[in-house]
Formats: sequence, C-alpha cells, structure tokens
Amino acid sequence: MTSKFRALLFIALLFCGQAVIAAETGTALKNDTLRKEPYADAKAGGILTRGESVDILKKQGAWLQIKTKKTTGWVRLLSVKRGASASGSQTAGVLAAASGRAGTGQVVSTTGIRGLSEEELKAAKFNESEVKTLEGYTLSADEGRQFANAGKLIPITFANLKAAKGDAK
Amino acid sequence: MNMHKNLLMQALLATALAATSMQGLALDFKGVLKDAVEKEIGQKPEAAPNESSQTPAAADSASAANSSEPEFNWKNPSQAEEISLGRQIAGNLLGAAPLVKDAALKKYVNSVGRWVASQSERPDLPWRFGVIESEDINAFAAPGGYIMVTKGLYRKLSNEAQLAGILGHEIGHVVKKHQLKVLQKQQLLNIGAGFLSDKYAKDNKLVSKAIGTGAEISARSLDKSAEYEADRLGLSYATRAGYEPYGLTEVLQTIGQTNKNDGSVALLFKTHPHPDERLVALGDAIGNKLDNVKNGKTLENRFYQLKN
Repeated sequence: MTSKFRALLFIALLFCGQAVIAAETGTALKNDTLRKEPYADAKAGGILTRGESVDILKKQGAWLQIKTKKTTGWVRLLSVKRGASASGSQTAGVLAAASGRAGTGQVVSTTGIRGLSEEELKAAKFNESEVKTLEGYTLSADEGRQFANAGKLIPITFANLKAAKGDAK
Repeated sequence: MNMHKNLLMQALLATALAATSMQGLALDFKGVLKDAVEKEIGQKPEAAPNESSQTPAAADSASAANSSEPEFNWKNPSQAEEISLGRQIAGNLLGAAPLVKDAALKKYVNSVGRWVASQSERPDLPWRFGVIESEDINAFAAPGGYIMVTKGLYRKLSNEAQLAGILGHEIGHVVKKHQLKVLQKQQLLNIGAGFLSDKYAKDNKLVSKAIGTGAEISARSLDKSAEYEADRLGLSYATRAGYEPYGLTEVLQTIGQTNKNDGSVALLFKTHPHPDERLVALGDAIGNKLDNVKNGKTLENRFYQLKN
C-alpha cells in the first residue's frame, strides 16, 4: 500500500466516522420499554433491546426520543449510549489502525505526549513544592458556600443512591 | 470496633498453632490471615465474630523505635495519619505530572470541589483539588482528601456540573476510604506474614513501605464495586450541591466513545469498569429517583476554560 493511498483511505474513513456521529446514533445499553411520552407512567409503545442501534431524535430532561427499526418512542437517558453505534465503534477501530495508534492489542503510548503509564507512575519522585502549592489552595466550607451562592446553586435534599437490587457485585 | 481489636492477632496465633500440625501451611495461613484482616478493617461487617479463645500474641507490641519514620497505625489510622498517607501519594503523583500552572484554574477546581465535598459525609476534611499536566484521561483520589484530575479529562468537560460529577466520584472514594482500606489490608497481611521476623514486621508499619515506589499506588485498580459505589455517591453529592444530576453520566458517555486502543484511556480502562457498564449500573440505581429533581444547574457560562 502506497503512502498516498493510505492517506486517501484515512481521509475516507475519517468522513465515514463523522457521518456516523452526525446522524446522532446510539446503542441500547439495556432492555427497556419505549414510552409514548417522556414520563415513567406514559403509555408503553414498544420495546428496546440491548445492543440495538437507534437514532436519537430529541432530548428532553432525562429522556431521549429515539427511533428504532420498528418504532419511535421515549426512553430514559441512561438506557442509550450516545454517539457511537456498534458500527461506529468499528469505524473508530479502523481509524485508529489507519493512524497507527492501534497495534497488536498492546497499547503503545503516544510519543511526544506526557502520559501517566504505570511505568511513569512507578518512576515518579515525591514533589514537595507541588504538594505545598496544591495545599495552598485549600478552601474552607464557607468559601465553598460563597462560590455556590455566586452561581445561584441551591443545595437540595437527596439521599445517596444505593446499588440496584441484584447489582451489588 | 473495640470488640474486634485483638481479633487479628488471635486469628494469627490460632492459625499458627493449628498449622504446625498441617501440611500446606502457607496456603491456609494466607487464607485465614486474609479473612481476619478483612474483618479487622470492616470489609466484612456481616461476618460472625471469631470465637478464638487464644491469648493475643505479642507481635503487635513490636515498635519501630529506631526508625526515623513514625510508625503508622494500620489497624485503626487516625485522620491525621490518613492525611499524611494521602499527602505522600499525592506528592508522588505530582512528581509524575505537576499541577497546571494557572492560578485561576487552581482556584476554580478547589471552589467546585470544596462545595461538592461539603455535601459528603466527610465535610470536615481539608479537601484539595488539582488539575495535572497530562493528556491522559483520568482522575485520582488519595486518602485524606487529595484529588487530581488530568488536563486530558478536563478538556473533555463542557460545564461545571460535569466537573462536579467527576470530583464527586473521587470524593466518594475518599469518603468510603476505598484506597485506604486496600492499603490497610495489604499492610496488615504483610505485617501478619512477617510476624516471625521482627525487622520485617517493623518495616511494614511504615508508610513508605506501604505505598511502594513512586506513584505506583495510583495505577492500581479498586474493586469494581468500589467504582460503582463512587459513581453513585459522586452523582448524589453533585445533585445535592444543586447541579444538574447527569453531569457525571455525560462524561461517562464521552469517555465511552474514546477508542479503547487510544493510549490516553489505557490506564483508565484498565483500572475501571467500562463506561458502558458504569452507565448501566448508574441507570439501574437511579431508576425513578431523579424524576422529581429539577432546576439543577450546569453553569457552562462560568466553566473555566483551559488556556492551552
């Protein structure tokens, strides 16, 4: 493969990738019920199957209006992985191969960019002056509250989420 | 906790006595040690108390008097000890990647982080937050309230609610002492296994021996369950702080789209469940609990933009 051809292929693939993203596709992360309206007690209007590719039409609050092969309806935000459908990820994989960033399954750190690989972390030496700098910016609870007030953030009562039943692994 | 104070040593001695008449000493020894340690640091609260009637062994009284480094109470570390341990880990991490030199950014992340931390169960810790010079996508928490986000991850954010969610996740690790418990478990095992050799036991009570070389500790994984728990807590704290609750999930959506062969997510993907699994777990935990939460803020207008 000549380098010119490789470059062309790369560009072509790049456009494919963008087309996939531009269409706002998504993948069902779980089985779910499609609702006719963006509410939990709205009428059911179909089913969503885990792994299924969907088109995302609209977002309203914590709900997404999606189009499956069969129908259109609303599901909760977290029932769908946004952006990349299964075919989209494949494109991403090919893209990475074309750009030389993917190897034989082994991750090669990108040259020229500082990383935090395990090796780099192991070689690290304690940096006293940076810790001191970090500690110098410590804020009090009052200062935090002032910052929240400035942004009109209003604290609310909300109990910590618990693991869903059968999901306590 | 007091009731269980001598459990570990009781179990140790009991095992040592029993094991002398057994083959495969090392294997059994390790297993019982592990159980005893887990009970001791509260990871198995449901486990029945050990009914050993043996006298506590004296190994606990061994002191590291001749060492320049103060001995660390691994069984029940004080808050000051927890912070000093976290400081050491944070300093090593900063040795690998220093803070981004931008005073306004430093002040901004500390403001957001401090406010979110105030919604946690440990509002009185001296919380500190930093953005570090690395294009990797990752975030780190060290015991006692030291939290670091990489520049690469910060770049992926588009509003303050997302930053609040990420910091909330790390705050959750500190609140639940996830890293501290891993270190405690490991050190109590080491001390236990080395209790026949005084020197070895003493060495293992020191912080420097516990955290290994450099910032290696920051590259270790926690249990998957600890990550899911931190996700639930992070989202809960950010929600209580008045932010739009889905900030954390938006970031997970973004990270999930990063190719897993991309070097910038190599460590993150190695040490955490895949973002898709985290989204599903969070979605299941949320259920309808956010249906009545409205008016949370995203604050993209004051979100601090990196200079480069």
